[in-house]
Amino acid sequence: MADILVVLEQRDGVLKRVSHEVLAAGRVLADASGGQVHALAIGGPDLSGDGLGAFGADRVVVVGDDAVKLYQPELYSATVTDQVQSGEYSAVILSATAMGRDLGPRVAAKLDCPLAADVTELSSDDGIVVKRPAYSGKAIYTLRVTSSPVVIAVRPNAVAPIDGSQAGIVDTGQVASAVRAARAVTKAIKQPERHAVDVTEAAIVVSGGRGLKEPEHFSLIEDLAGAVGAAVGASRAVVDAGWRPHSEQVGQTGKTVSPNLYFAVGISGAVQHLAGMRTAKVIVAINKDPDAPIFKVADYGIVGDLFEIVPRLADEIRKIKEN
Amino acid sequence: MKIAVCVKRTPDTETRIKIASDGKSIDEAGVKFVLNPYDEYAVEEALKLKEAAGSGEVVVVSVGAASAQETIRNALAMGADRGVLLKTDAVSLDPLPTAKLLAGELKSGEYDLIFFGKLAIDDYSHAVGAMVAELLGMPAVSSVSDLTVDGSVGTAEREIEGGVEVVEFPLPAAVTAEKGLNEPRYPALRGIMMAKKKPLDVKDVTLPEGGLELVALTLPPQRQEGRIVGEGPDAVPALIDALRNEAKVL
Amino acid sequence: MSQFVPADYQPKLPLDRLILTDPPSEERIEMDVLFVGGGPAGLAGAIELAKLVRADNEQDGSLGTVSIGVLEKAGALGEHSLSGAVVNPRALRELFPGLSDADFPFTTAVTKESVYLLSDRSATRVPTPPSMKNHGNYIASICEIVRWLGEKAEGLGVDIFPGFPAEALLTEGDRVLGVRTVATGRDRDGSELSNFMPQADVTAKVTALAEGTRGLLSQAYCEWQNLTGENPQIFALGVKELWELSRPLDQVIHTMGWPLPKNAFGGSFFYPLEPTVGALGLVVGLDAPGRSLDVHELLQALKTHRVFREYLEGGELIEWGAKTIPEGGFYALPPRRSGDGVVMLGDSVGFVDVPSLKGIHYAMQSGIFAARAIFSALKVDDTSGSTLGAYDRMVDASFIKDDLYRTRNVRLAYKDGFYKGSVKAGLMTITGGRMFGNRIDMHRDADVPRDVGEKTDLIPDGKLTVSKVDAVFKSANATRDNIPPHLIAAADVPAEVAEFYTHVCPAGVYEVADDGLRINAPNCVDCKATDVVGPRWMPREGGSGPAYKRM
Repeated sequence: MADILVVLEQRDGVLKRVSHEVLAAGRVLADASGGQVHALAIGGPDLSGDGLGAFGADRVVVVGDDAVKLYQPELYSATVTDQVQSGEYSAVILSATAMGRDLGPRVAAKLDCPLAADVTELSSDDGIVVKRPAYSGKAIYTLRVTSSPVVIAVRPNAVAPIDGSQAGIVDTGQVASAVRAARAVTKAIKQPERHAVDVTEAAIVVSGGRGLKEPEHFSLIEDLAGAVGAAVGASRAVVDAGWRPHSEQVGQTGKTVSPNLYFAVGISGAVQHLAGMRTAKVIVAINKDPDAPIFKVADYGIVGDLFEIVPRLADEIRKIKEN
Repeated sequence: MKIAVCVKRTPDTETRIKIASDGKSIDEAGVKFVLNPYDEYAVEEALKLKEAAGSGEVVVVSVGAASAQETIRNALAMGADRGVLLKTDAVSLDPLPTAKLLAGELKSGEYDLIFFGKLAIDDYSHAVGAMVAELLGMPAVSSVSDLTVDGSVGTAEREIEGGVEVVEFPLPAAVTAEKGLNEPRYPALRGIMMAKKKPLDVKDVTLPEGGLELVALTLPPQRQEGRIVGEGPDAVPALIDALRNEAKVL
Repeated sequence: MSQFVPADYQPKLPLDRLILTDPPSEERIEMDVLFVGGGPAGLAGAIELAKLVRADNEQDGSLGTVSIGVLEKAGALGEHSLSGAVVNPRALRELFPGLSDADFPFTTAVTKESVYLLSDRSATRVPTPPSMKNHGNYIASICEIVRWLGEKAEGLGVDIFPGFPAEALLTEGDRVLGVRTVATGRDRDGSELSNFMPQADVTAKVTALAEGTRGLLSQAYCEWQNLTGENPQIFALGVKELWELSRPLDQVIHTMGWPLPKNAFGGSFFYPLEPTVGALGLVVGLDAPGRSLDVHELLQALKTHRVFREYLEGGELIEWGAKTIPEGGFYALPPRRSGDGVVMLGDSVGFVDVPSLKGIHYAMQSGIFAARAIFSALKVDDTSGSTLGAYDRMVDASFIKDDLYRTRNVRLAYKDGFYKGSVKAGLMTITGGRMFGNRIDMHRDADVPRDVGEKTDLIPDGKLTVSKVDAVFKSANATRDNIPPHLIAAADVPAEVAEFYTHVCPAGVYEVADDGLRINAPNCVDCKATDVVGPRWMPREGGSGPAYKRM
């Protein structure tokens, strides 16, 4: 009866939302095989594994040590591998975050096992079957896992956390002793300098248009972009008016931006602009004119005064990010 | 300084994807193939480091079909010194077999640095660089957007959610390149001519067995009709809820 | 301003920028023969030459190694190539005598064809004119032909350099020494970006200009050498779309009439590239006097006609593109297409037969002839104009000249409008060109006065009909946004003229703004339409412009 090992992720001693997502993913596979979900939490000495039972963990192993407060690739991968080898696991699940995308391949290489990266759906039916996007999301692979164990990196936001009431057991674990002196060492996390992410490459884009009325009001767009971690874009009209640099313009040349999420703020949706952003995965429009063409291509729209809506949106997003 | 760069031939991002009749691959008719864009950053960084060092060699290595020679030539045209193609028509969606082939080729090369793109834009696995480093027992930093190398020590900045990790590492090491690391050069006409004469070693290899079986390749579901979630600032929570739980993009 | 003449607002060709007399750079790249342009003409020439050299080397070998290069401005071969196309296979057969038609990159043989005269409501089938009969010809994508030829050329040792446009001729006296390529990595204001790559001088014993329609260096050479035909060259603009059809199309369709105004010369084509992939286009002469005439919009209107709609509705637009076509025919050919160290091939000199809607096999054949002349010149180590003149003599003794001569006045007859033109053209065809055989005088397109004319007022629905911006998106135009402007317009263009440019250009490059003409240069798909009647086109960074895949 093989168990599932789930690797949690924390920052500054607080578990991230994705940790609850991977627990839910673990639950799916464990329930199908009749095994248990074991969670491994690695972080500083103040890290706690309490309350994770409610999210689906049968057992939690907490490795709290100053040496692994930050993500240390070599210590983390050795610790995860030790844990896998100490039990009988059919799958190791982590989140396809910056950490998971680095840690997953290392663990798979150490265990000499397959890696299913960036998984958006997983199920267990005559073995583990996963789906994962390819070709910039233009196609989807369905893959069957043919050997055990397997490392699975689940895309953030792909699996909803469980809201249960089960209590889990919390144990204490240790940093893998063999490699206490790691060679590559993460020294610090610093805030990124505001460097201009190219709008054509950004995962999220917040674009502003004429509805902002004055160039100074673009600070609202910048604030929302900062909150959500986005690149700033601009409509043709405001670039031509000289409010914004040409590099931020979306949609003039027939070039497109294809972010996961696109906010069109105060942009009516001239076809010039639409041509440039309609391949975005999710489009949000905020405009005071309910008949604006932008609402025809938007997935979600709010009709109203952007000067009230945008600051509120930025605040709410910041609140979520802080948790 | 001796540097290896691992590259992959991938369809252009602009490519319109059509599923082939086997239901497991893309229809390659009319598809333009390019040097994976993240690998261009890797090649550029290797060239810059070699130029800064004043001497050395940049070796480009790829796993793929015979057509990948063209991709290697692109990197040679940018200025790399020689190429190695580990030739196989087999494709693995499990990244480990590919990593094993590359590690086998690179292990005796005494490279100071091995560069990769952070991911290939076709399969998006984001894995081979870290796996090769692991197989070679080498320190590695992935998704690097800034790199300095001072003698035998490197400092890299790695993009993470809402911040940047600063990582120090000793050489030899592996680094995977993120956009922003540099601005790749255009190949010069002379560079392209010289690239045709640079050595390109083609070695027949067998891709080791992987642990993932391809069941199907399908197109994503059609986009749904949009909707107005509400009016004014009071609609913000409904919007956020929709973005998080329905669209799953926040 | 009710009427204006476009030429009054057209900047002159900047010959000082295009014909360079300083010696080539010391870091020049030296080749034996350089083809400028990797289309059917340039590649056929390179292939034929490489084969002749190979045969020579296998025999007495007196020629030794001959380096053959092809410069192409597109990012990859075929990405700037656009044609109908129904192809006459004869030049391919001559180039590859060992291959059969089945080996060529054709998709289907033409088995059925129809010609319709359209009104807005009806379609009347008319007999297929003899010149338009396509029995024995094949439907093909020129992009695929070009890529296929490229592979053959590389297999023969030809060096092909995609992404390298030529911006000027290097000259000494009357001799062409080679070309200068365009620098890459400049910012909008011309300053150098971190990845700036300077231009390169490429010299050759013979430079073969195979730039395609409205070739810049060919224009410059002809102007510099005072080479004008008996008539000026005239052009049409073709706008083409590739569709995944909702039901199979089993024949070649051509239409005339609606939605074109009566004073415009043109027609449409609709070819099954595959049973459910259709190539659809509209071609209209740039001498039409209506100043609102807009080929892209006319094509959109055309698609709403039931002849097309039943195949397109429920289908999907896959690609869009545009290109001009030289239509002047026999009388517009330059008196010589060769000179000291230079030959000019294909569309860049106007080897197109309008009545049969063919140009590809003439282009390729001209390349083959040029290669033979170049080979002989290299053998005697004399690449002067008089030796390379063998190329002109071969063309003049061939079907290229015969075909163009037979139909010499057919297109020209339409300068007085569609109906008069049809009657005259019909008589010419019946009499093999003997009736109305005297040359009809033509004006340059830019010299034809433009007047207020019919306007198409169609609001695109985004599915069957598309706006210019959406269309450019479908050309896969990936031009860098901050590239320096490459279109030269006159200063202070009046609003009416600016408005005229917005209609001539199918790609939405020109706009009328409060302060005059606005140029969205990155939209440009290198069709050259405004180069004919308005702002001049100059080459820009390699790889800019469209990336056609199956046009």
